[in-house]
Amino acid sequence: MKKLLSLAACAALFTALLSGCGSQQKQTLNILTWDGYIPSNVISEYGADNNVNINISNFTTNEEMLTKLQSSEASQYDLVIGSDYIVDIARKQNLLAEIDKTKMNNFNNIGKEFLNQYYDPESKYAVPYSAGTPLIVYDPSKVDTDIKGYADLWNPSLADKLVIMDDARNVIGITLKTMGKSLNETDPAVLQQASEKLNALRPNIRLLDYNNPQEAMLSGEAAVGYMFTSQVAAVLSERPDFKVVYPWEGMGFGIDNWFVPAKATNKDAAFDFLNYMYEPERFAYIAEQIQYLCVNNASEKYLSDAYKNNTALHIPSEVLGDTEFIEDIGTDAAAVYDEIWTKFKQQ
Amino acid sequence: MKKRSRAWICVLPLYIFTIFFVAVPLVYVIVLSLLSRDVTWGVTGKFTLSNYARIFESSYLNVFKQSLTVAFLTTLITSLIGYPFGYFMARLPKKRRSIVMTFVIVPFWTNALVRIYGWIILLRSQGLLNSVLQIIGIVSEPLKILYTLPAVIIGMVYSLLPFMIFAVYSSAEKMDFSLVDAARDLGAGRIKAFWTITFRCTLPGLLSGFVLVFVPSIGLFFISDLLGGGKIMLVGNLIQNQLLTSRDWPFGAALSVVMMIMTLFVIWIYRRITRVKDLEGLL
Repeated sequence: MKKLLSLAACAALFTALLSGCGSQQKQTLNILTWDGYIPSNVISEYGADNNVNINISNFTTNEEMLTKLQSSEASQYDLVIGSDYIVDIARKQNLLAEIDKTKMNNFNNIGKEFLNQYYDPESKYAVPYSAGTPLIVYDPSKVDTDIKGYADLWNPSLADKLVIMDDARNVIGITLKTMGKSLNETDPAVLQQASEKLNALRPNIRLLDYNNPQEAMLSGEAAVGYMFTSQVAAVLSERPDFKVVYPWEGMGFGIDNWFVPAKATNKDAAFDFLNYMYEPERFAYIAEQIQYLCVNNASEKYLSDAYKNNTALHIPSEVLGDTEFIEDIGTDAAAVYDEIWTKFKQQ
Repeated sequence: MKKRSRAWICVLPLYIFTIFFVAVPLVYVIVLSLLSRDVTWGVTGKFTLSNYARIFESSYLNVFKQSLTVAFLTTLITSLIGYPFGYFMARLPKKRRSIVMTFVIVPFWTNALVRIYGWIILLRSQGLLNSVLQIIGIVSEPLKILYTLPAVIIGMVYSLLPFMIFAVYSSAEKMDFSLVDAARDLGAGRIKAFWTITFRCTLPGLLSGFVLVFVPSIGLFFISDLLGGGKIMLVGNLIQNQLLTSRDWPFGAALSVVMMIMTLFVIWIYRRITRVKDLEGLL
């Protein structure tokens, strides 16, 4: 009898064990991001440590991401990345879930200058991931003038020497900055003046390139460049003798943010993974891999010298100063910007 | 009766294909061009003709003007190079002809974008062309060809030349050269025989080459972006801008509709002149 009892107890224990195993089924975390925006070893290590399946889906433009978020597919993603302006649109359309900061302790390490921005005034929905500011970079051996800001790009000695990003909002934006106006100016009269001023820049422009302006700098085709952070960083890593300018007129700013869709089915896993990525040492590694400004203050001591010496990536917050975002300006003003740009391009 | 219905089934896939991949997108583009842009993103259902009215603003009309200029120059140069090339290729003995043909086709095995990047390397100020010119002593300062209009034309001509060559070739190959001999027998000189017989007979090929080169050269935006340094705006660039950066889909659609009308107009002229219904070079 005793034997039978112990046998039954054993069997009970065994089944309990088994069922225990069953409830610990592998979780799945679905992430929607740009290709290569999270270092692949971070993903695989997290997956292995926490017994989680991570599915990565990619998109190429913010607009494409938003379309997916608005469709019925939305519930298929637990964690999504997007740039500031698109986060603003998504938030206004109630597509975002609040970040549960009790499940993300490392949120507190994020620098104040990256939080409470216009697209998320109380920092409830978006977790800043990478920040960047377009900068001027130049080859001092080919430039006689001392470049301090955007206005110097108009200097006649720079004729046919400039490569600038092929982007209407940014380039019209810096023109407005030289006039002491906002990047998001909508007054037609001011924009008209900006149009004329911009047209005067044309003789200095060697080329406009959105995707690979760094190549024109490195091949010697252009001597001065105005381009995005990661592109300036790429130039500097090959040519440390080139100089970076933090334009005194004020810098533009862009932040890519993580957020959890309102319809996400596995929100807790998303928060847990975010917390994992924002561990100070790990985040330092991520910032160096993706080549953007490091938003995590606690990561400072883990950053390599190469990163810290790269003036495009490591910008002290007091130098960063009053940054300004390019925001949505409405359809009427957008049409004016488009016309200014079209005119500028075809002279 | 039974036979007919079966034949109809055979062409059904073709109809389905045409409806889904040609007619439906076309209707979609036309409808889109009549809607207005939404405040943040997408379109609203409000009907408007303002997208078409906007095209007549001077800055956008100038884009069409520039685009047509580039297209005409491209077509002219491809005709000047492609016509004699296609003509003499048709007159080569068969074995050599196929070798020459292979040389024309081989570049098509590589992606067009890669080939245009090749041109950047050739044309840049420290590139191959300038190094050679400087070594020979023709120029002392590197020529600035890259990121100018000539660079765009070079890229266009390079990409579209085979279309002209093959269009001319296909009509020259079909030509009966005994007609030329007959003309010569009847006392026509070489030049007169060429103009009255050869040129007349190959004109449909030349004109279809014209269409095949002219039409795509309006839309090849990546060539003007890469070789023109983004400084030369074609209708193709303008449409791309509306769809990707300005997020103004209705205006982009309206531009596309106008571009299609332009294309149809070119084909209509071609048909009026040649009185043939197909593009001969297209096969």
